[in-house]
Amino acid sequence: MDRRNFLSLLLSVFGTGAFVSFAYPLIRYLAPPTANIKKIRLTFNKSDIGDAKEILFQQTPTVIINRPGKGYIALSRVCTHLGCLLEYDKLQRKLVCPCHAGVFDLEGRVVSGPPPKPLLTFPLRVEGEDITIG
Amino acid sequence: MWQKIRDGVNIRTGLSELIDNKLKGYRVPSDTNIFYTIGIVTMAAYIVLAITGYFLLMYYVPHSEHAFGSVQKIMTVIPFGWFVRMIHIVVANLMVALVFIHLVSIFFMGNYKKPRELTWLIGGLVLLTTLAFCLSGYLLPWNQRSYWATTIVTNIPTAFPVLGDFIANTLRGGETISEITLTRFFSLHVGFLPPVFLILVGLHMFLVWRIGLSVPPLSSSAKEEKPWTGYRPVSYSKSYPFYPNFLLKEVSMVMIFFVVTFFLITFMPMLFLPEAANMPADPLKTPPHIKPEWYFLAPYQMLKMIPNKFFGISIQLIAIVIFLFWPFIDSGEERNILKRPLILGVSLILLAAWFVLTVMGRYS
Repeated sequence: MDRRNFLSLLLSVFGTGAFVSFAYPLIRYLAPPTANIKKIRLTFNKSDIGDAKEILFQQTPTVIINRPGKGYIALSRVCTHLGCLLEYDKLQRKLVCPCHAGVFDLEGRVVSGPPPKPLLTFPLRVEGEDITIG
Repeated sequence: MWQKIRDGVNIRTGLSELIDNKLKGYRVPSDTNIFYTIGIVTMAAYIVLAITGYFLLMYYVPHSEHAFGSVQKIMTVIPFGWFVRMIHIVVANLMVALVFIHLVSIFFMGNYKKPRELTWLIGGLVLLTTLAFCLSGYLLPWNQRSYWATTIVTNIPTAFPVLGDFIANTLRGGETISEITLTRFFSLHVGFLPPVFLILVGLHMFLVWRIGLSVPPLSSSAKEEKPWTGYRPVSYSKSYPFYPNFLLKEVSMVMIFFVVTFFLITFMPMLFLPEAANMPADPLKTPPHIKPEWYFLAPYQMLKMIPNKFFGISIQLIAIVIFLFWPFIDSGEERNILKRPLILGVSLILLAAWFVLTVMGRYS
């Protein structure tokens, strides 16, 4: 390898190194920190069948529903289509998206509309009238 | 006195020589129509936006707890704050319309053909930058519409496997729209996009100046253009000087643009401010019938109608790529669209579809 080619190679190595050391921190700087895992406790009246409570869990708007005959479920309210917040329809027993009319059942499954996948569910534990999510 | 100042400046800068050579000496085809002036009107709109944006910055607070309040203060407390903000809103919307009209007119006149392919490509990038300006700008007032419209748009990349979630989270700075998203969009709007826009417009204007304005395709002198086998200075059989003839035409169109702006502010002040734009953002309540700005209604309605999100968004991305690189795809020499019935028919159908989708998006 002659002197000119060696210098070109050196320049490429240093240039790539400088670019990577500049670009990597910038990309990491843009990547958001992940949310801390927490537990939330709340109290439900067991006789309120079909009732729901809306909370914020791990920065995700969440709804806890007391399903008739099936017990409690904690579902993300974020529509899997484009992120609008679902509204719980107690009479029809479904979750409806106000943006593109996506409909989910109380298991979080897509019933109709454009959402591509089911809703995120969070684990919960029931002790008497106390419910712990997370 | 005035003459002395002129002479003083002239001795030190050679201004007269510059005007004679670069403005009076620069020739423009004499049969240009008003569509040739839309570009400069768009530039005027950008200058107005930069000035009003700078004034809005003096009172706007980019913080989720203060942003909505600071905008309300601009509208109700600061003397003529409403005026500055209304100009900013109306001109921003008109600017999108102007860029659209500019591109559509260039398309129908076939002015993107060789040697102006790069001019078209950069013009397309200017349109995308303008839309990025609008998107980042309308989150800033932190109202219900801006919050939820931004939620919808920043969720679009999640349709793509592997990198989709990463892109969406990087755009938002988290899983949802938050304080971080607001500051991120604010820095994009006032710090990143303006130099990008100016660089693109600078390149665009350089190419227009370097290649020269195209002759309208229906003009008699259009046929006299020789094939472009290599770069050569542009020449016209019938032309007039850029200054003062063409510049006066452009300034007249800028004046008409201001008339439209002030007409809208005076007689239709709520045209671009629906009810949800006057309610503070509530991250726990999506308002019913949330709709994006008029220029995003067609893609929004398309996403509503196509059940598969990945498919719907892929179609739109492919359409953008085809649009940007159209001059390289349609490389034939014929510029007169009346002699190309297929292209004319398809483009009219696409324009009509865009219009219908926009109306459906607005009223469905």
